Amino acid sequence: MRFFQPFLFLAVVAILIQGCAFSRGTLGDDIKTEAVSSITKGVTTKTEVLTLLGAPDRVLPLNGRDVYQYYRYDAKAGSLLLILINFSRLSVKGDDLFVMLNQNGIVEEVLSSKRTENLEFRFWPFGE
Amino acid sequence: MLRSHGHFTIFLLFVLMGGLCSACNVVRVTLNTPLTPDDVAFIVPGQTTLLEVIDRLGSPDSINNSETGIVSVHRFLDMKYARVNFGWLAKPWSPVDPDLIFSRTGFGTDAFQVFYDSNGIVVQHSFLRHVIDRPFHPYPF
Repeated sequence: MRFFQPFLFLAVVAILIQGCAFSRGTLGDDIKTEAVSSITKGVTTKTEVLTLLGAPDRVLPLNGRDVYQYYRYDAKAGSLLLILINFSRLSVKGDDLFVMLNQNGIVEEVLSSKRTENLEFRFWPFGE
Repeated sequence: MLRSHGHFTIFLLFVLMGGLCSACNVVRVTLNTPLTPDDVAFIVPGQTTLLEVIDRLGSPDSINNSETGIVSVHRFLDMKYARVNFGWLAKPWSPVDPDLIFSRTGFGTDAFQVFYDSNGIVVQHSFLRHVIDRPFHPYPF
């Protein structure tokens, strides 16, 4: 009987774990950290921003100033497809960059965050 | 006889459990990191600045004009979906493919809004909705 136990265990595991799935989707171009760090407040101009980062995804008027918004979304999905029960989890996070320009077209403020760096494939839908 | 009856009961229990659990789906979708009141407790109106908020919470999803200055919005979603197909119980004995599905989805969308004055100091902040962290719950009634 002991001889068969490992085979039985493997058979049960093979039956239960019949499939896994990984999927990924992205929207927008990667916001390069080097390009963002090369922007200097009070010095960099609107033209230089456009050269470094390309055209913004959105232009927002903010109290007489222009704000360029760049964004990128990353989605990672993991599924554990068992015979008895299926678990799936889809995590979506976005990187955002806001470049605030004053009325003279000079960068006044840069707000950015990279939330996609810690994005992982996850199956387990419970907990955090 | 008693022993074989016990084995049969255990077998039936396994079949029942398998039938109950089969075709169960548990799905969760999260967009950005859901914020809780504890996460934003550091914000003090009249003191905290836009840069401090962004340093702790990351850049917002949108920035717009407001009467006092600007308003930033951090959006997030924590969707939970659970589904059970009780029709699987009858599958071994039915010539057709029966379905009796209970499912429920909780979207859990929320947003955290922060209003700033023209100098970038927080004036007020609040959650758009007050989403309670609900468990996975397939019963729709």
